[in-house]
Amino acid sequence: MNGTDAGPPDVDLDRVWLGVAAQVWRRQPGWLERAAGRLLRSPGLARALVITPSLLPGWLIATGVVLVAGLLATRGTGTPYVPLVAPAVAGAGVAYAYGPGTDPAWELSRSMAVSDRMVLLVRALAVFGLNAGLGLAASAASGTAVAITFGWLVPMTAVCALALAAATVSQSSDVGVAAGMAGWVITVLGARVASGRLIAAVADARLVLPYLVFAAACGAVAWYATRIPRGNT
Amino acid sequence: MNVEISDLTRRFGRTEAVAGVSLETGPGVFGLLGPNGAGKTSLLRMMATVLPPTSGRLRLLGRDPGSFRPRREIRRRLGYLPQSLGYYPGFTVAEFVEYFALLKEMPPGQVPRAVATTLEQVGLGDKARAKLRTLSGGMLRRAGIAQAIVNQPELLLLDEPTAGLDPEQRVAFRALLRDLGQRATVVVSTHLVEDVGAACTEVALMERGKIVFHGSPAELIARGEDTAAAGDAPLERGYSAALAMARSATPTPAVTKAPTVTKAPPA
Amino acid sequence: MNDDELIAAVAGGDDAALRELFSRHAPWLAARLRAVLPAAEVEDVLQETFLAVWRGARGYRPAREDGTAGGWLWGIARRQAALLLRRGGPAVLVLPAVIAADGRHAEDPQEAALARADLEQAVAALGPAGSAEREVWRLLYVEDRPVAEVARLTGVPEGTVKSRAHRVRRLLRAALRGGQTAEGGAR
Repeated sequence: MNGTDAGPPDVDLDRVWLGVAAQVWRRQPGWLERAAGRLLRSPGLARALVITPSLLPGWLIATGVVLVAGLLATRGTGTPYVPLVAPAVAGAGVAYAYGPGTDPAWELSRSMAVSDRMVLLVRALAVFGLNAGLGLAASAASGTAVAITFGWLVPMTAVCALALAAATVSQSSDVGVAAGMAGWVITVLGARVASGRLIAAVADARLVLPYLVFAAACGAVAWYATRIPRGNT
Repeated sequence: MNVEISDLTRRFGRTEAVAGVSLETGPGVFGLLGPNGAGKTSLLRMMATVLPPTSGRLRLLGRDPGSFRPRREIRRRLGYLPQSLGYYPGFTVAEFVEYFALLKEMPPGQVPRAVATTLEQVGLGDKARAKLRTLSGGMLRRAGIAQAIVNQPELLLLDEPTAGLDPEQRVAFRALLRDLGQRATVVVSTHLVEDVGAACTEVALMERGKIVFHGSPAELIARGEDTAAAGDAPLERGYSAALAMARSATPTPAVTKAPTVTKAPPA
Repeated sequence: MNDDELIAAVAGGDDAALRELFSRHAPWLAARLRAVLPAAEVEDVLQETFLAVWRGARGYRPAREDGTAGGWLWGIARRQAALLLRRGGPAVLVLPAVIAADGRHAEDPQEAALARADLEQAVAALGPAGSAEREVWRLLYVEDRPVAEVARLTGVPEGTVKSRAHRVRRLLRAALRGGQTAEGGAR
């Protein structure tokens, strides 16, 4: 503190103030962050995780609302909407996990010891896992068949991987969301045209392998895109 | 030597942003001058391990940033302030600085005191718990400087750090720079020539991807003596003279009368 | 902002007000503590004091006129110093219950003992050095000897030691209480 009057000459008042300020200004992490810090063995990574835009309360509530709407639609019409809706919602969430679209200090984050790729990975997995959990709950509550209740997890993986790949390649979360949504809509409609059923995209077992291969390919793309940071003058 | 660069090049498509730069520097304040588009930011980005070089040799803090583990070690000891830094508007100043302290893998027990020390050092002690969205441009810049120095880095890279600071704050900032330069290598990229003169022990001038001058501020001033180079202050004149010489590609060093200098670069 | 307003602001969570309060009051608090404690301990006590201010500002009641804030701050500082000493600080001021070991006085006995300026004055009120009360004071309270040993050293029965100790406590209490109303802060 500049300008603190002297006091006794051998007492360092500036240092005393810093000790006070350190306690007054410190942030106390919540239980979730502390647990994540122990699990991930990195307090920085845990903090990055809990501030993920698509894990914030507002986003989670919106996700919940969409899934509940799907749930109610299913109850009303008999068509399982949750499996159709959940992948899209998850894809959007994953795209908004990280990137210039959502992280204003993104360039700075790329110079950090906790690598941005780790942050992205952890966030994407967390968002995916959370959405899978919520989707499963909604799906089970809507009383659809077991195969369909779980069957959409694979397409959801593919959609999320696509969204992630698009976001990292274009360095824009919005592009990632758009790509994920578009990809999923096309898939659903295409499968419906091919087989006549709306839920073919999630119910057809023959699609499992193609989905997984596609997801792996997108994952590799995302990995590559985050490996070589592209500069722009 | 904290920074050892040898024939470093960075290409974007067909443009060479950095064209074979070599320099070595240890503790002290190193000023990187040059007009916009000279390649300063790309050079700084490479030193910040954010951009890989296209070719050439780069060693930071005695390590090779091309490999994962050494790069991580470098980043723990690094401070970087990019030219444009976004802020998380909902964060407070203290939370912002703390976040990057954690991302730099500072031991968590040391973080609160480091944050407090840094905030007082940059003069944001009375804004610690204010939200970033309530801050002025100059204060935001100081918050950016704070996150760069919170981990007491051995290599500090500042790209246009004084943008938005008023003259009084610039004086305080230069004093801070000199202080930091005692122990660390501080590289300041700026187009404000007077920032350089006051704080730097070494200066390099970049033009079109190359270093066209490397020496002390006094030597740069000497370049401008006995010339009709543009500028209101000796350092500015030295800057203009060195730049003009580089652009005209005249090999002879001492010029008693400068060729017509049409327009000085932005100072 | 005056001190009362600052403390009210601190109670409302304004850390900038705490900073201002610190810059105004830390110097004289440090000086007062320095008369009693070594520099390193002064720093520790001051830090704990202002953290206690941060946490307890809500309990501040500006009951009297000027000088209240300073007195409140000094009260906190003394309590923190007592805590520090009890945790094993310097042996200089090891004093058991000076004020009402019989528990009538609500304040912490150690805390009162630390106001050495007050204390020296109060001890002087016991009588000249070498007098019976001053000897009991020195042996029983400063050197913390058991009653039996004090009785042996002074050559009087234990009962006499105890009654002299009672008189010492009474005199000190009166002297210190008189000193407390004058201890309000410098600003």
